[in-house]
Amino acid sequence: MTDATPAEPTAGQIRDLSRGRDMIVCEDVSKWYGDFQALDKVSATIKEQEVVVVLGPSGSGKSTWIRCINRLEIHQEGRIVVDDVELTNDLRNIEKVRSEVGMVFQQFNLFPHLNILDNVSLAPIWVRKKPRAEAESQAMALLERVGIPEQAQKYPGQLSGGQQQRVAIARALAMEPRIMLFDEPTSALDPEMIKEVLDVIKTLALSGMTMMVVTHEMGFAKEVADRLIFMEGGQIVEENTTELFFSNPTEDRTKLFLSQIL
Amino acid sequence: MGGFGIGSRNSAVVPSANVPIAAPPEVLKLPPREWVKANLFSSPFNSVLTLLTTVVLLAIFRGFLAFVFDPVRQWDSTATNLQLFMTRAYPDDQYIRIWFCVAVILILTGVSMAVWRAGSTMPVAAIGHKLLGTGALLVLLALLAPFSASATIQWLVAALAVAATGEVLRRSPGKGEDERTVSTLTVLVIALAGLVASLWVVPYGHHTYIANRVPRVLAEPGTVALTTKLPWTVMLLIVVTAYFAGRLMRDRLPANPIRATLMVLWLLAPPVLVYLVLRDPDFDIGHVVGTDLPIFLAYATGGAALLSWLTRPSTGEAGRIIAVLILLVGFCTFLTPMRMVVRIDMLMLAVFALAAPTFAGGPRARKRYAVGWLGVLGVASWLITSINTPSTVEVPGGFFIGGLSITLMVAVFTILFSFPLGIGLALARTSSMPIFRHLSTGFIEIVRGVPLITILIFFSIMVPLFLPTGMHLDEVTAVIIGYVLFSSAYLAENVRGGLQSVTRGQHEAADAVGMTTAQKTVFIVLPQALRVSIPPLVGHCIGVFKETSLLAIIGVFDLLYIARIVIPGQTEFMGSARENLLFVSVIYWIFAYQLSKASQRLERRTGLGER
Amino acid sequence: MTTSDNTSSSESPGSSAPSTLVAASARTPLWRDVVVLKWVTQVFLLAVVLSAMWFLASQAGDNLRARNINTDFDFLERPVDIQLGEGIDTHPDTGGRALWAAMVNTLRLSVAGIIFATVLGVIVGLARLSDNWLVRRIASGWVEMLRNIPLLVQMIVYYSTMTAALPRLGLDAGPINGWLHVSNKGISMPRVHIADGFYQWAVVVLIGAVAAHFVRRHRQRIQDETGANASPILWALGTVALFGLVGLVVHPAFFWLGAVFGAIADLLDSLPNAVPQLLLSAIAVGFATTWISRFVSDHRSARGHLSLTDDDWFRIAFTALVSLVLVYVAVRWTGLSSWILNSGRDLFGVLEAKFDVDGAARPFDAMRPDIVQKAKFPNYGKNGLTMSIGFASVFFAVVFYTSAFIGENVRGGILAVSKGQTEAAKAVGLGRGQILRHVVLPQALRVILPPTGNQYLNLVKNTSLAVAVGMSDIVQVGTTVFNQTGRTLPVVAIWMLFYLSCSLTISVVVNWFNVRMQLVER
Repeated sequence: MTDATPAEPTAGQIRDLSRGRDMIVCEDVSKWYGDFQALDKVSATIKEQEVVVVLGPSGSGKSTWIRCINRLEIHQEGRIVVDDVELTNDLRNIEKVRSEVGMVFQQFNLFPHLNILDNVSLAPIWVRKKPRAEAESQAMALLERVGIPEQAQKYPGQLSGGQQQRVAIARALAMEPRIMLFDEPTSALDPEMIKEVLDVIKTLALSGMTMMVVTHEMGFAKEVADRLIFMEGGQIVEENTTELFFSNPTEDRTKLFLSQIL
Repeated sequence: MGGFGIGSRNSAVVPSANVPIAAPPEVLKLPPREWVKANLFSSPFNSVLTLLTTVVLLAIFRGFLAFVFDPVRQWDSTATNLQLFMTRAYPDDQYIRIWFCVAVILILTGVSMAVWRAGSTMPVAAIGHKLLGTGALLVLLALLAPFSASATIQWLVAALAVAATGEVLRRSPGKGEDERTVSTLTVLVIALAGLVASLWVVPYGHHTYIANRVPRVLAEPGTVALTTKLPWTVMLLIVVTAYFAGRLMRDRLPANPIRATLMVLWLLAPPVLVYLVLRDPDFDIGHVVGTDLPIFLAYATGGAALLSWLTRPSTGEAGRIIAVLILLVGFCTFLTPMRMVVRIDMLMLAVFALAAPTFAGGPRARKRYAVGWLGVLGVASWLITSINTPSTVEVPGGFFIGGLSITLMVAVFTILFSFPLGIGLALARTSSMPIFRHLSTGFIEIVRGVPLITILIFFSIMVPLFLPTGMHLDEVTAVIIGYVLFSSAYLAENVRGGLQSVTRGQHEAADAVGMTTAQKTVFIVLPQALRVSIPPLVGHCIGVFKETSLLAIIGVFDLLYIARIVIPGQTEFMGSARENLLFVSVIYWIFAYQLSKASQRLERRTGLGER
Repeated sequence: MTTSDNTSSSESPGSSAPSTLVAASARTPLWRDVVVLKWVTQVFLLAVVLSAMWFLASQAGDNLRARNINTDFDFLERPVDIQLGEGIDTHPDTGGRALWAAMVNTLRLSVAGIIFATVLGVIVGLARLSDNWLVRRIASGWVEMLRNIPLLVQMIVYYSTMTAALPRLGLDAGPINGWLHVSNKGISMPRVHIADGFYQWAVVVLIGAVAAHFVRRHRQRIQDETGANASPILWALGTVALFGLVGLVVHPAFFWLGAVFGAIADLLDSLPNAVPQLLLSAIAVGFATTWISRFVSDHRSARGHLSLTDDDWFRIAFTALVSLVLVYVAVRWTGLSSWILNSGRDLFGVLEAKFDVDGAARPFDAMRPDIVQKAKFPNYGKNGLTMSIGFASVFFAVVFYTSAFIGENVRGGILAVSKGQTEAAKAVGLGRGQILRHVVLPQALRVILPPTGNQYLNLVKNTSLAVAVGMSDIVQVGTTVFNQTGRTLPVVAIWMLFYLSCSLTISVVVNWFNVRMQLVER
């Protein structure tokens, strides 16, 4: 919000990320679904305020990976450390990580039986234990930030897809997370609604939020990402800064993917 | 324990009782002659079918009328014993209690109808159509029934009057801008007012049965007794007043608090009315002050202090350990002889303590939680005390109410208690924890595989044997426990269908914002699941209502038992079983049919069926 | 229950984790470990349920002892004073025989009820969709009336009406020799019954069934190869019928089977208790090992990599523990083993007796109604197929009641078949009846069958209301038995076992049909 001035260079280039703390550390993370290996020794580090876009064909394990970071899926080997808290069976660690990591889903997953205001303020009240009045005024502020304060009393079914996804972002932000994960946030949207959602995500990126985004929107990746990660077959194939990734990909598979998608 | 349900997928979806028939709207746009041709005589086969069924139908109708209007029929046995049918032997001098209960229920109904905006509008022409149909039926009745000539003419005149009114109303402006409509509630009130007014005017006759007098049957011409017509008139006024008061409240006050208060009142009404008002416990003040009050105060202060500590967000895992310890202590109290109320209170406290982290929060949330504990504890203690106190209402033999009252009481208590149990079983059956799942599945499938009557017989005989020495439960309570267990197994299957309809994304979204499993269940999963299960749940309630007739087999004085055994046993009315059984069938039918109609309306209004 | 691997999921045993990369993470305390918590909760709940049951059982045990009530099953072999209104044995000599006769009554009622309710239900369902307005209204009136009045009330209405309206069986009623006799004592007609040679004949039919299986396979192959309709089912049925006919003549040839069963009974008699104990233990251990090995192989990847979470390890440990408990029960509870041996011996003893008949005995016989005059009152004798008024009222009540529900299922199923199907069938020139038979019904059946199966289950359970009209079903006779002997718990156990096996049988049959339907669809 603070430095939301549209800048020619990407956010990463004006910020010096090298000295930032490690927010997410993955070491040799592996996961199987029965016979099928979904993640194969995935290792990566994401710094504070960094925006990382994960690309790859469908079934490449990018969604599984991002969901492991929030422990919606449980990894079977390797370590995941989020903000110095390792994800283990420890109840306290799981609670801590989940309340520090916000997540936005492809299908929005708003709670259909609650109105928009309650959707956003429910978790702050019951998880963060905030008084209702404070939680609701914060929720209104967030709805204003994503541009739909007038819809507060409506129900999710009455909103368009783009509006629903913006509410979902507000809901995640209401928990005041330090990291945001986006799992294909625009894949279920009609083309004319993609832009309004991407704009919100862009502003969020410029405000200095640490983010991991799984997406197929190349333009968005070019504009916002500090770094790109290309996955295939559960492995990280290539990992590079945005500029180098598009201008000079090293791996053949990356080249093939880019040639198909661009 | 494998599933016995057929086609496991479907077994949860099939409601145990009535699926309301969604009647397709009859299109009556054709002129009468063409309509008859299209619907009755469209082909030779159809014509034969129409003629045949008409003949058979008329013969059956005639036979039925010959039965009903046969001078041998003892319809006065029904009229004389109406009070027996409603409340059995509840003493006349205490009857004001019954009327008080009816009034409370009616006030709650009236206010709720206003607050939830019940009722809709219907075109006047539709009413006319219905009246016309009724008139035609009455004409048929007048012609077929074994009446004398003058009676036939009287019936015919009445029938034609009804039909004529219907025809006039039917000709009022039809579809379009100036369609005349009327609120269904108005129609209902007019109909009820007509009924009540007829009590004052029409000479139904005054019939009473008094056991300790000769002759025991009193039958006088004239209108019904003042003790019948006056209270009903007052009741009608009460419900109309309550409705308007409810509208006032709805317009002046915020909606959510009113609705919450009404829900709590609806929940409290059955136990309070039955055990405090109708039963009128004779409190022993010395015992209450000396024993019950101290126990209550100890739990109230200790529990409130403990819970306000447990609901502090900073308490963390230590709270869970304390809660489990309380639960263990609660179970250990069963190993040593002590007052039952101490054990029940301890278990309730353990449940509240276990749920505390879910509802933890700021000072206001904590205060609300402690107040909730005090409320639940207070109501429970009061009820336990009054149940354990002897009643002042003297009723010979058996339970203190009977007939329709006990039918309704058993149905309401069964539904009330089987709800939490059924939801718990459904949650356990869909849980990811195998032991929970297997235990719950085993219970549900065993109960569903066995007829209700064996469960009722088992409980009415075995419950006294299961109790520790010194504790007593009357038969009706024991049987209600059987009903609750049986009903909860079926209810669990209905709720399971709803739980399975909550998508995985909802669970994940709740996880992602950091909710605990309990919070996810209470705030996200259950509200959605229950909403989907409303139609099968209403069907289930109708089923429970019908199943209360099994009380007669156990020997409880319910409607059926009175009609089949008690009244034909009165020397004045030997062999009157069929008349009274017919009357009871009609009562059951009206209740069950209206419930299923109401659920249809609800479904249409919320659009549940269309999902 | 081991908790050695609860530190982190990264240390799944059996994996080849590159542990060098993993820095030693702090050990999670037990009370915060989700997996431990999950399993402690479950075991805790199991303990609570078991201890509550134990508490109630010990409480009941004390009370029963105090009232001198027994809970053993010896009443099954003791004489009782019970008269059944109808059935295979109206004056049973033992409690077991009485319950058996009552079970047969319940089964007769259920089977007849299911058949007639299905037929009536289909008629009601089709009538609900009729073109004819009057028929449609009658059908919906039928449904709305029947399902909104409690079944018990209907049953009692039928009972009182029939007892009041039917002619009385007068004191002067002598021997009758007609085909049908109706009175307020019941309805009696001639019957065909099983005679002494039946069991030998049944062996012939059994052989016929095996032969029919092969015939069906053969005809099916012909049909698959040539494409012509070889009607395999008809051929199979014909084979069975042929064997049945031949069996009427040749059945005495199987008299020697009696000796074989006798030998088996003697063998079972001489076996020591250890044999069933070993067998039960082997079954328990076998089940556990197959379950565990299947579980492990399910979690093994193609490359042989085993990935088990802590939760999975708990499951394996729990299964092993349960099997050990079962072995312990089998070994310590000697009564169970001797009961298995004894009942096996008795079963084969009975079979031996069934085959020990004169060679000329016929498999079937027929008789006509008669009247007996015990004491003062005339009643129907054993010769005819007699349906008492109680039986008739239960029968009509469950048939009518269930027909309303089945009718709604049929209607829903037919409506679920899309309109397009009917229109397409009309377009190729099929008639109304043909459309119904060949297009709509086969598809609708898939929708109709599962809920109708549930209605069959309900029907069987609803026959238990017969106790209210004094028909001698298993509940009524069971109540009399425990009133006389005080053995409430054993009788309730027999009830539960009986009804659960009925439910299970119906589920299995309906599910079998259902699976076949789904196959047809593909």
